[in-house]
Amino acid sequence: MKKTRMFTFAGRVLSNLFQKPATTNYPFQPVEYPERMRGHVVIKIEDCISCGLCVRQCPSQAIQVDKKAGTWKINRFDCVQCGNCVNVCPKKCLTMEKGYTEPDSQKTCEIFTRPKQEETKPTSGGKPAMDPEKCVYCTLCAKKCPQNALKVDRKEKIWELNKEACIQCGICMSVCPKHAIEMKE
Amino acid sequence: MAKRSIVPFGPQHPVLPEPVHLDLVLEDETVVGAIPSIGYIHRGLEKLVEKRDFKQYVYIAERVCGICSCGHGMGYCESVEKVMGIEVPRRAEYLRTIWMEMSRVHSHLLWLGLLADAMGFESLFMESWRLREKILDMFDQTAGGRIILSVNCVGGVLKDMDGGMLQGVLHAIEDLEKEMKPVIDTFLEDYTVQSRLKGTGVLSRENAIAMGAVGPTLRASGEAYDVRMLGYAAYNDLSVEPIIESDGDCYARCEVRLREILQSFALIREAIQKIPEGPIAVPVKGNPKGEYFMRIEQPRGEAIYYVKGNGTKYLDRFRLRTPTTSNIPPMVEMLKGCQLADVPLLILTIDPCVSCTER
Repeated sequence: MKKTRMFTFAGRVLSNLFQKPATTNYPFQPVEYPERMRGHVVIKIEDCISCGLCVRQCPSQAIQVDKKAGTWKINRFDCVQCGNCVNVCPKKCLTMEKGYTEPDSQKTCEIFTRPKQEETKPTSGGKPAMDPEKCVYCTLCAKKCPQNALKVDRKEKIWELNKEACIQCGICMSVCPKHAIEMKE
Repeated sequence: MAKRSIVPFGPQHPVLPEPVHLDLVLEDETVVGAIPSIGYIHRGLEKLVEKRDFKQYVYIAERVCGICSCGHGMGYCESVEKVMGIEVPRRAEYLRTIWMEMSRVHSHLLWLGLLADAMGFESLFMESWRLREKILDMFDQTAGGRIILSVNCVGGVLKDMDGGMLQGVLHAIEDLEKEMKPVIDTFLEDYTVQSRLKGTGVLSRENAIAMGAVGPTLRASGEAYDVRMLGYAAYNDLSVEPIIESDGDCYARCEVRLREILQSFALIREAIQKIPEGPIAVPVKGNPKGEYFMRIEQPRGEAIYYVKGNGTKYLDRFRLRTPTTSNIPPMVEMLKGCQLADVPLLILTIDPCVSCTER
């Protein structure tokens, strides 16, 4: 049988009268966000290759990518800050930063445009093609492919590309130790 | 015989965090029957499984409910993993368990606050929610979100907790346990609380089983039933014992939840002590084909997850039976014979989550 007492909480109530408030005086006292906080998505647009993987993986369909115009568009009001786009980005140009975005009276989109670059060796814009003379079938490209679009068999000497799954990110080309892969139109 | 009258209760009521409607049949001040009706916040989240990749759907499953978010994500992931035959790394299972137990503490503290508020004990309500804030801060530090954790993924977890972080959790729990002491004492020993809770809304063990009660509502009626005993995630390595009370009244339901908070602290400590090193996720290849039923113990009770895959990246069906769905018939049973003034308190003691129920 539990005992019954009166004014059990009175001590705590009285001490509360002489203590600092449990809440902080926001916004005059700024908030310290922890390191891992998922506040909003930030893009390093120079590194983006418009592969569209973030668009396909976004559960709330907040992202739009225009490959031709080189734009990356996000509706901050649809974004649920799950961080899925950051996890799937093959170029790691998306990050979750601390802090929330400003409130607004209208649901606006934020658009980022990739700066025009001088034509160098294309890292994207084409599907990978393998040079059979250089390839040693090490399978590194298949392991690193974010879409699992490559199938490599060392014994049978098979290198196959699933063209539909390929997002032309160029990771296979960059990881190839023998420089056997080229991105061709 | 007194004249019967019907009083509508809800869907908007100060004590209800979410909308549920009850037609209370009264004889004078005594409730003789209650007819519940739901359907005010149906969102069609189960249907969405046909439109979203099964890996993406984790984020939607988590959003079924704000309070049991971590558990819903975990339940969905575990059922998909079982369909695909994926063996999750042990460390990931431990991490899931730690986050899940922290969610239980957070959910129960939220409920205790609401209960105190329903009794008009404002200072106790604020104290409970002040303590809950510490758990939310821990979530923010370890997972990156205060309510929606988004740590579960098919194949494991997305974030690891290093040694320093686990020690931080231990320290925070230690502080919290000390601060919980006066709150627990007040809930269990205070005259005001006892006079409101003791003897109200008695649900006998037979009735609880017959009506399909789950979670703390069932355990407060004396039935030792806790799905964690099945040993999913890391629970098979931890010492889980169902916490039971025999009275079956509002006070017993409150006591079960208070003791479960302390049990969760012990489980987190044990899990942190035993957590193995290793990877936190395995790569997932292919698509799910087949079906699976998964049961997990959410803070509110047993939740059932059913997934059916057809070999494509879109699942055929996802079904979720939440604890509140099972607890509504026992609640109607409890209401019979109570006073009208006790109705808000009684509804609250099953910890209703209508958003979960309607999905």
